[in-house]
Amino acid sequence: MANSKKPGGLREMLESMYSVIALLFILVACVELCDAAAAFDVYRLIQYDRSGSPFGSRFAALNHHAASLHFPPGVDLSRTVLIIPLRELNITFVREYINQKKPLGGFLVLLPEVLSFKTGGNNQVHEKEKMKNLLAELERLLIHSNIPYPVYFAFENDEIDTVLADIKKNDLMGQPATATTGGYKFVIPTAEPKKVASPTMTNIQGWLSGLKTDGDANQLPTIAIVASYDTFGAAPALSVGSDSNGSGIVALLEISRLFSLLYSNPKTRGRYNLLFGLTSGGPYNYNGTQKWLRSFDQRLRESIDYAICLNSIGSLDNELWIHVSKPPENAYIKQIFEGLSNVAEELDLKVGLKHKKINISNPRVAWEHEQFSRLRVTAATLSELSVTPELLESTGGLFDTRQYVNETAIVRGVKLVAESLARHIYGHQGKNIQIFADESSLAVNPAYIRSWLDVLSQTPRVAPFLSKDDPFVMALKKELAGHVDEVNVQHETLEGIFTFYDSTSARLNIYQVASVTFDLLLLLVLGSYLIVLFSFLVITTRGLDDLISLFRRPPSRKLKTA
Amino acid sequence: MTMFHFFNCAILTFGPHAVYYSATPLSEYDTLGTSVKAALVYLGTALVKLVCLATVLKVSENDGFDPYQELLKAVIGFIDVAGLYFALTQLTHRNISQNHKFQAVGLGWAFADSVLHRLAPLWVGARGLEFTWDFILQGLEANANLVLSISLAALGSLMWLRKNKPKTLIPIIYTCAGIVATMPSITSYLRRGLGWDFPKVVVFELFTSLSMAFISWQLFSACQRPS
Repeated sequence: MANSKKPGGLREMLESMYSVIALLFILVACVELCDAAAAFDVYRLIQYDRSGSPFGSRFAALNHHAASLHFPPGVDLSRTVLIIPLRELNITFVREYINQKKPLGGFLVLLPEVLSFKTGGNNQVHEKEKMKNLLAELERLLIHSNIPYPVYFAFENDEIDTVLADIKKNDLMGQPATATTGGYKFVIPTAEPKKVASPTMTNIQGWLSGLKTDGDANQLPTIAIVASYDTFGAAPALSVGSDSNGSGIVALLEISRLFSLLYSNPKTRGRYNLLFGLTSGGPYNYNGTQKWLRSFDQRLRESIDYAICLNSIGSLDNELWIHVSKPPENAYIKQIFEGLSNVAEELDLKVGLKHKKINISNPRVAWEHEQFSRLRVTAATLSELSVTPELLESTGGLFDTRQYVNETAIVRGVKLVAESLARHIYGHQGKNIQIFADESSLAVNPAYIRSWLDVLSQTPRVAPFLSKDDPFVMALKKELAGHVDEVNVQHETLEGIFTFYDSTSARLNIYQVASVTFDLLLLLVLGSYLIVLFSFLVITTRGLDDLISLFRRPPSRKLKTA
Repeated sequence: MTMFHFFNCAILTFGPHAVYYSATPLSEYDTLGTSVKAALVYLGTALVKLVCLATVLKVSENDGFDPYQELLKAVIGFIDVAGLYFALTQLTHRNISQNHKFQAVGLGWAFADSVLHRLAPLWVGARGLEFTWDFILQGLEANANLVLSISLAALGSLMWLRKNKPKTLIPIIYTCAGIVATMPSITSYLRRGLGWDFPKVVVFELFTSLSMAFISWQLFSACQRPS
């Protein structure tokens, strides 16, 4: 009986041993990866296809030596990562590299720490305009190029600055880092980037019903207020779009809050329905807005009197623009413009009118109101931008951070839109009545705007990387639901000419490596040390003759046998 | 090159033991068994020391030098000496001369010490991409430790195995043995109390081990003269 138990027990023991050994191997393998000199978060350049053509950085994994801008000329950089801080970046240098397709192992741009939404805080940015222009140019260059190596962005901090200083020192001595000369090695262990399958766009709409008296047979007219909430930028993990279009979202939420206060009391409820729309797919020719409008009931669409689209109203320049696609002589457009200008005058603000005809055959939709106009709904976009943006421009890029948006401007924008809307709804056009006066119960709440702006400035919102039940989208829905009667969420697929690839952020490990020549040298030194030790010990303990006899084949043996 | 570096540091740490064994007459007299037994005794004493340390010492928050704790650690360090005594006197060795016995015991002792204290950090650390000088310094420390162990074994064998010693040399023998036995405490005092950094400490260890070896060699040959 004892014998039959033994083999089974032995097998069990062996199996448990195998699992222990396997665990040990896994542990040992894990530890090897964790001992970097430094590790940082880095954010990858966007990778996308537009109508089949590849754009952006096509690779994600990195395992190369590092060099700075002071690399000796003529050296081969195809297995080197260039690390450049933004303040030393020369756009012509980068453009030359990309356009001439010079081989490079990788590219790491160090952004100033103030731009980081995690650690930058609310510090002031020095030389704002210069940095903004540089970043805008860099972004434009990178987004529209096909780059066959990984491009990453990181924020400067003390550790990475010391590493950079060390790299510069080595480069100046004329020794770029390669396998034989040691130096720093940058390793980003990520998988191959894959396509994002069926990216979703989520449109959120809120409905505030107007006062329907018994005599009204028809549906009440509707006014729509729309803002697109998603962004697009060179680094999708950093595209927080505080101004484009964080300012629009915040303004929409505040307007909905104010009107919900008015509409909560039947005595002050207006005879207009209010439709609030937070749309997605903005940078991609307002694809989401188009799908949202197409999903409308014909009657609803016809009942929309006009729509105001909000796009980037967060800058404190004293001029806002109203962009329209119907000619300015149109009666409705005149009405909207007059309403807004009257209020603007009171707020010490200038508003101008810009007319851009839409071309139905051109798929390019530069402003959100154009999607309304294509469906014969009167609409206008309120924006600080005077020039029509190009595709993928002004959609929340690297420089569009919290420091570049001003909440006073947003407060002013809210007042402008809300007052003009209210005067239209309650029929007080031309009268000098301030419905949303300061210090009243209907005053615009700067703290609300500030807190939402802070949240938005910390949330990257590139649509293909927002899942269907993304917590931020749910938060927007919940906030809007608190102010309106009914909220609907519509999920659509982002189809069309854009395809996106994942892997937007990763962890960079920096290792200080010794060169192969160092290891060989060390082996040589150790070998000779051991040989010397051996000879020394033999000589001192057995005598010199023994040492010599070790090397000489004893010829006397042959003599002996003979 | 990571495995390369590990290999280099491994031969620096463990190479001298193998070289010592093969270069001296120890290999001729096949004293491997003695060395193995000495290594096992070291293992035993290490366990006993661990238990004593765990019971007696408190965990200190800062890395400073606490004299009371260090004194306790030094006292517990004498368990090492007791273990060496056990290995030298109580274990049954084959008929090998005293000259070779202490060498074999010292070698086994130092090898076990190196393996226990230095193999795991080497395996885990030296194979990574990151390069530090620590492992090379650790290898040098292992070398110094080998010399110290052999000199301690020599002094131990003088103290306990040799019956007829010149009277004048006895106190010198005991003081030298005491110094060598308290070497770990001295090095930890240098590192923590005086704040010496690792390379300096290793240089100090190498220097003292060589001088101690020389002194014990002189004592050994002095004791050998009368017989």
